[in-house]
Amino acid sequence: MAEIRRESPVDFGVRSLETEVRSDWPVALAYDAEGDGPWVVDLSHKTRWDLQDGQVGELTPAGQSVPATPGMSVLADGILINRMNRTQTSIYHLGSDAPDLPDHPGFTDVTEATIFLALFGPHALHIAEKLSNLDLGDPNKEAPFLLQGPFCHVPCQIVTLEKDAEDGTNGAGGFVLTCSRGYAQSMVHAILDAGAEFGLRPAGEQRFAQWLAALSS
Amino acid sequence: MNRLNQLPTLRIDPAEKRTLSYRGKSLPGVAGDTVATALFANGVRIFARSLKYHRPRGLYSLDGECANTMMDVDSIPNVRTENTLLKNGMVVKEQNVKGSAEFDWMGFIDKFDWMMPAGFYYHTMHKPAAVWPHAMKQIRKAAGLGEISPDYVMRGRFDELFLKADVTVVGGGAAGMRAALAAAEGGLRVVLLEARPHLGGCFDYRVSDNGDGTPLYQRARELAEQVAATTNIRVFTHAPLVGTYSNNLITAHQVGSDSDSFTERYIEIRSESIVVATGCIERPLLFDNNERPGVMQVGCAHRLARTYGILPGKQAVFAVGHDLGLEAAIDLFDLGLKIGCVADIREDGQNPDLLMALADRAIPVLKGWVAAKAHGKTVTKVTLTTVEGTVKRDFDCDLLVASAGLTPVTGPFIMAQAKMGYDNHTGYFLPTELPERMFPAGRLTGVGDPRAIEASGRLAGLQAAAACGVSLNGELDAAKAATAALPGPERGCKLVTAPVKGRKSFICFDEDATIKSVKQAIDKGFDVPELVKRFAGVGLGPGQGGIPGHNLPLFVAKYTASSATPKPTTLRPPLVPTFIATYAGAHHHMFKRTPLHKSQKAAGGVFRNIGVWKRARYFSDDFDCREEILNVRGNVGMLDGSTLGKFRIHGPDALKALQRVYVSDMSKVKEGRIKYSAMCNDDGCVIDDGVVVKRGENDYYFTTSTGRAGATVEWIRYHTRFDGWDFHLVNLTDAMGVINLSGPNARKVLAKVTDADLSSEAFPFSGYREITVGGSIPARAMRLGFVGELSYELHVAASYMQAVWDLLEEAGAEFGIRNFGVEAQNVLRMEKCHIILGQESEQRTNLLDVGLGFLWDRTKSACKTVGAVALRQAEKDPNRFKLVGIRMEDDDRPARDGALIVDTKVRGYVATMRKSFTTGEAVGMALVEKPLSDIGTRLEIFEDECNGVRLYARVVKMPFYDPNGERMKA
Amino acid sequence: MALTLTCPVCGKRNGYEFRYGGEDKGPRPAEEGMTPSAWCDYVHMNKCTAGVQKEWWFHRDGCGAWFTTYRDTVANLEVDAPEVTE
Repeated sequence: MAEIRRESPVDFGVRSLETEVRSDWPVALAYDAEGDGPWVVDLSHKTRWDLQDGQVGELTPAGQSVPATPGMSVLADGILINRMNRTQTSIYHLGSDAPDLPDHPGFTDVTEATIFLALFGPHALHIAEKLSNLDLGDPNKEAPFLLQGPFCHVPCQIVTLEKDAEDGTNGAGGFVLTCSRGYAQSMVHAILDAGAEFGLRPAGEQRFAQWLAALSS
Repeated sequence: MNRLNQLPTLRIDPAEKRTLSYRGKSLPGVAGDTVATALFANGVRIFARSLKYHRPRGLYSLDGECANTMMDVDSIPNVRTENTLLKNGMVVKEQNVKGSAEFDWMGFIDKFDWMMPAGFYYHTMHKPAAVWPHAMKQIRKAAGLGEISPDYVMRGRFDELFLKADVTVVGGGAAGMRAALAAAEGGLRVVLLEARPHLGGCFDYRVSDNGDGTPLYQRARELAEQVAATTNIRVFTHAPLVGTYSNNLITAHQVGSDSDSFTERYIEIRSESIVVATGCIERPLLFDNNERPGVMQVGCAHRLARTYGILPGKQAVFAVGHDLGLEAAIDLFDLGLKIGCVADIREDGQNPDLLMALADRAIPVLKGWVAAKAHGKTVTKVTLTTVEGTVKRDFDCDLLVASAGLTPVTGPFIMAQAKMGYDNHTGYFLPTELPERMFPAGRLTGVGDPRAIEASGRLAGLQAAAACGVSLNGELDAAKAATAALPGPERGCKLVTAPVKGRKSFICFDEDATIKSVKQAIDKGFDVPELVKRFAGVGLGPGQGGIPGHNLPLFVAKYTASSATPKPTTLRPPLVPTFIATYAGAHHHMFKRTPLHKSQKAAGGVFRNIGVWKRARYFSDDFDCREEILNVRGNVGMLDGSTLGKFRIHGPDALKALQRVYVSDMSKVKEGRIKYSAMCNDDGCVIDDGVVVKRGENDYYFTTSTGRAGATVEWIRYHTRFDGWDFHLVNLTDAMGVINLSGPNARKVLAKVTDADLSSEAFPFSGYREITVGGSIPARAMRLGFVGELSYELHVAASYMQAVWDLLEEAGAEFGIRNFGVEAQNVLRMEKCHIILGQESEQRTNLLDVGLGFLWDRTKSACKTVGAVALRQAEKDPNRFKLVGIRMEDDDRPARDGALIVDTKVRGYVATMRKSFTTGEAVGMALVEKPLSDIGTRLEIFEDECNGVRLYARVVKMPFYDPNGERMKA
Repeated sequence: MALTLTCPVCGKRNGYEFRYGGEDKGPRPAEEGMTPSAWCDYVHMNKCTAGVQKEWWFHRDGCGAWFTTYRDTVANLEVDAPEVTE
């Protein structure tokens, strides 16, 4: 019988060095020659929820409170909660396993709807400014923050997790990005192409976990 | 030629050699050279021939303001060689010549200028009209710039950059650098754009003292170091401004160097405030043969020597109207240039120190004198005259440095819609009212004193920072005081033209427009600059107003004896020529692929763009898809339908929203059943159809057509925007893949991979079940009949799609299951007369026209259903189209999709038609006027290129296959 | 390209991110008693103000909100902050 296996929409075109299967998802843990950054990591297997409710601000998904204003995000215990508008919030489980979808009718599991990429390390924001006029390094905002807008002409949710510590001009830092799953190949191609001049390399989940740990500490 | 290799001002590296190929010869150059300076260093004086008269042209400004030195470089025509850095191996050719630039067989045309007065195209050659095509052909051969080969492919890497800045400074001279440094003090994000490959502006090549004992070039380098050390200033050199727009949007392009990853890139900057420190170019001096090779502007001669180490001539005459001309004469004399005489247009007002220095060097200075005529193909002699024209004197020379004075580069202001006015003191056209949050700095404000230039830069930088909300009152006042204490704007030279008739005095080089042609235009009544510009072609060339921009309005005002102040002409982006390839940038093609893309491709899928998606349309090179179709009819096939729009709608008011947009009564949707319905627009025209499933209380799942998926959320929210309803939409289009399993054996195949009861009793036609496939994969299953056979549509999480597909393929192997594509589906559903919106409908087609009126529930007017009012009206309209089934009289000649149905006029069109493999008949659907819709009506069909022969068809009953639907309900 | 609009959710953004939704004509009229010409006027007739008008925009590439804002149609510039509607 054919093997029951999930497929990530993201394909970097290089074979991963180390892979593990997690609830049918093959997860690349590391790649050969990941380099010194910047890195792009496929997180499409990480659970994402959409939560919509007239009183979304009063809900506590995964035990966390929802940020008060649209555009604000909070990252705690590996869970990133982004307030999208008056009634809507996106919840990304960046850490290990996600709990079951809560029983509240406002939740939808949208893991499958999008690709989920992390782009971080030196020049990560310089790569972004080749593909989008969104201000990922906005000095008036405190990371993490959410931007909903076009990235390489495709509507995306982008969360800047880390701005360049210095003054925002070295382009270091990083962000996670989701866009419609169907665009996976086009988006990855565009990002790798834009990042080539900075030495952008695909990296495994471990690299992302290290960054996440550093952000949380 | 020996270069002046030891100058501290050089921007070349004499040690690093480059070569270029010109006229079959390899010529040496050095790193830092432009193509033009390398050619000049090799003795090339005539770079090109002019557009109309084939006059020889040479180096004039060195900043690319005119087409004089445009050449064909590596097969790209009209390259501004003055602005193009030399790269090894460049192949350079002259343009618009028969022979060579040196000896051009078309050069005789210059003698016939009298035949070509201003506007001669307009009033000759149109009588008789038949002459024009021939004349045009000859003119095209004789006139113009470079030529491009139609099959030329642009090489290089083009990129784009979208920057956010608090302050953008345009111009990297001393003022611009000071502005950037001042603006950056408070930590703002600052972008500095410089058109030349290096910072420094008018300080960069000058050795005179800045007033504090530092040579200007050294001061410029100090500032550049400070800028480089300031991390919140991002510097883009070789990046000329291309456009300024409202809301402080700036576009520019940057030319890449050898070490850059791009050939040229587009830069778009949205900034809070802008400092314009673009400086000045020179106002051309008007006299006879003022554009001869050997005539050049002050900055050109000075920079050739100081920046590129090339002495611009041996024996020179200067005819200038500004102290910079005197400064250049002194410096160039010291570098070894012989100077016969310096004619200064001004009677007085010169800097006495400069006059003293000239006297020290025994260089004669003629005040109130000006050049009247240059002689020779390249300059051999010049006639000078007093500005009144009373006395003339000839001087032998091979270089005439000529300039009437300065003119500010105000393009950024003009493009930002600033009102421009004539300033009597400087003689400049300057903004009379500044656009919001845009600040001028440096030489373009009229100041010439180096300290004043720097101070004005600092002031503008602080003002720009203040406009971003940085509070720095004290500093701003100090900067204002500092500026006020320094010399203000200098008085400019006002001479418009030398005292000549002007037949060969060129006001615009690019279009070969002379003073005489401007006079002719004015005499014909085109008496304002904007009209002269168009009629006589003054400033319509590639350089826009760079050469004539300042002189034209001045001359028009003089010649019309106008007492009003001169009015400048306008400018538009792109301010400098920009490759289309640069605008295209990286041009990533963004499209969607389904979760099965790879396996569909491996299975031989031939893909087509359908909206934002790539879909497999065929699975063989038989584009009639015979095998694919017959396999579905007789056996079982699988289609990837993942592009279907899929949505969840939930919340207390979800049903109200559905009632608003769907024409049916959605309160009748039952759990476990699918409801087919349609959406109309406010004109009753049908825009979408799909199915709705109720999955729980206030919780629905619905599908839309592929093309409408992107606009569905927008549509529903738009039509409920005043209602304040509490409902929520989730776009699951990409989250779920869709497999359409169709054919008489579909149930047997599906039964092998699921434990669910698939019997018609347990899972009837129009049923909806949530089943498990392959033991663990959840699937939403619908029994639909789009292709007219027993069919299951499985909606599966995208990541499991390939696994489910593989399971079904394995299970179906024993039946000979195979793929079918979009075209096969198109024929299958056409045989059943199931419509596809956009194919059996167009913009004006309403719900009733296509026979879907049965979907519309008239009893729910309280829901204010979109389209209902218009449908009530349309119902009474006898002049609508109607969708009918048609069959060709000749079954071997189906009409093409879109063929017209005609009698004395167009009566309708064929929507879809194919030769049906199932029935052997050429059948299809057509939209026809109601009177033609009765069964049996004979229709006359017109196709393109049918040479008067018509095709004939008859209206027949729909559908053509399985009219009672027994197969799909099986 | 130069037009910016202020989305009540996302803030000031490039005009390309939005879809124009027409002049603000008020809520949908009741269906009962609606004459064809009155309906046609509601759907199709516009004031086409040369100056400042209130109009609908949709943040298509962003948060997906419909909102009204004021735009000077002559200068093609947004002139007032939008009203939050949703």
